[in-house]
Amino acid sequence: MRRKPADTVRQFVALSRRSTLAIFRQPALVGPSLIFPLFFAALGSSSFSRAISLPGFPKVDSYLQFTLAGTVTQGVLFGSVTGAAALATDIEEGFFDRLLAAPTSRTSILFGRLAGSSLFGALQALIFLLALLPFGVTVQAGLLGYVSIVVAGFITAFAVGALMSVVALKTGSAEAVQGTFPVLFILLFLSSAFFPRETMSGAYRHIADFNPISYMVEGQRSLSIDGVSLVAITQTLVIPAGIAVLTTMLALRQLSVRLAAR
Amino acid sequence: MNNAPIIAEQLARHFGDVKAVDGINLTVNQGEIFGFLGPNGAGKSTAVRMLTTLLRPTSGTARVAGYDVVKQADEVRRNIGVALQDAAIDPLMTGYELLELQAVLYGIAATKMKQRANELLERVGLTAAADRRVATYSGGMRRRLDLALSLIHQPAVLFLDEPTTGLDPMSRLTLWEEVRRLNREGTTVMLTTQYLEEADQLADRIAIIDHGKIVREGKPSELKRSVGDPTLLINVSREHSDAARSVLARFGDMRPTAEGTLGVGLRGGAERVAEVVRALDEAKLVVEHLELNQPSLDDVFAEATGYRLEGADNAPQAG
Repeated sequence: MRRKPADTVRQFVALSRRSTLAIFRQPALVGPSLIFPLFFAALGSSSFSRAISLPGFPKVDSYLQFTLAGTVTQGVLFGSVTGAAALATDIEEGFFDRLLAAPTSRTSILFGRLAGSSLFGALQALIFLLALLPFGVTVQAGLLGYVSIVVAGFITAFAVGALMSVVALKTGSAEAVQGTFPVLFILLFLSSAFFPRETMSGAYRHIADFNPISYMVEGQRSLSIDGVSLVAITQTLVIPAGIAVLTTMLALRQLSVRLAAR
Repeated sequence: MNNAPIIAEQLARHFGDVKAVDGINLTVNQGEIFGFLGPNGAGKSTAVRMLTTLLRPTSGTARVAGYDVVKQADEVRRNIGVALQDAAIDPLMTGYELLELQAVLYGIAATKMKQRANELLERVGLTAAADRRVATYSGGMRRRLDLALSLIHQPAVLFLDEPTTGLDPMSRLTLWEEVRRLNREGTTVMLTTQYLEEADQLADRIAIIDHGKIVREGKPSELKRSVGDPTLLINVSREHSDAARSVLARFGDMRPTAEGTLGVGLRGGAERVAEVVRALDEAKLVVEHLELNQPSLDDVFAEATGYRLEGADNAPQAG
């Protein structure tokens, strides 16, 4: 007997609800991914306030305005690991087996977990946008810009969550997932999240040129500083979506490998 | 064709060179409570994981609820309830939320979900705790919730993997009573346990598994009868141990016992105890303690495996 598509959707919704509830019931998990990016933004704002007059910087009123996109991306990267870590915990502690012992759609187990952290990614983006609003940080692209950045938060969290899920499914260890996180952080700092590529040189510049995070951040930055443009929207949404497709394929493959190895 | 709800034929699972389950055959009949008894590492959980589709057999076949566990795994899952010892319950969710989730996984209509969840919460005595997070539950409450979760879709066959391990005696009795009640209502139950008393109290039939093989199978009463003679246990000081052993060996076969104790299957039963005492006395051996035990499942276990299940931590592990 094949599972009805409606049953699969119900299972996905129920598992998504579980993963979303789990995030909001762990303030200790949520807090740092909201506080640290804002702390870095405040630190950057006071330390690099005069940097915006350097050649290569776009015309902005404040460093905070420049770093809005970096702050959003940093927070989303922080938070997106939670879903994969929770998936690893499910494997470690046996909840994964509980789901497998039931007639659960296998892909719903993965996507249900990612849904929670993706929704959290969108919420984080919205919170950062609102939190910086009183400091004069706005998105010049207006409502379309705000919505695009929030949607980008969702897609980015999904993409990174799927990538981290590969680690979770391969190792079944939440520690291994958390241990991989610094790689993302390094990639963020080796992008144009906090300084324009035009101000970089040497190997640092080359890495930033090849780093997809640079282009995601620059899309959001263009929406916030310059206003609406097709290029900015494409960079903001299509690049993370492309990465999401790739990482989802990898995660599904790893899920199959884990299930086949049983 | 055999319509028994659980049938395994030459079922085996190897992990590299380790034969965790080594070609077992078993049939669990409709309406039975079947106990799978063995120490940690004997292969009980591995066998149950294969029967519940969580692990693929290396060889052999098994049919559960009429379906092949490999070729028709999803059908098996729809028809069985599973409460695994090592499958944690999400501590961040409430009991009610978990039952709701389980109902969705088994395709129970939204209109019936609430009623079914409430029925089960009442059944396992968790109505008052339904809206509390599982993190606040005691071990016994978690096991009862686990049982309720496994019953959400009213399965015909229920697998309980070490259902009372780590529970206090009161919680254990409550769970036993619930298992008996379920069985009276028609559910076929297969439970694994390392507790002799649990197997003795609950199971209509038991299989003793050791090093991945079933070494005895039958009704507990029949198995105990098959051991025959009662066991005479004595304690003597260490320096007299060898001498006492040679005296005891004249009265029957020596049996495995806990360290520091000697045991003999006493041919002729209780009537010969006085004779043994006289023989020990004549050998000038001081007996510190003496007791006569009627055959127990532990004797059956010892006779079948060469060591006792009680205090079986030193038993060689099969993996």
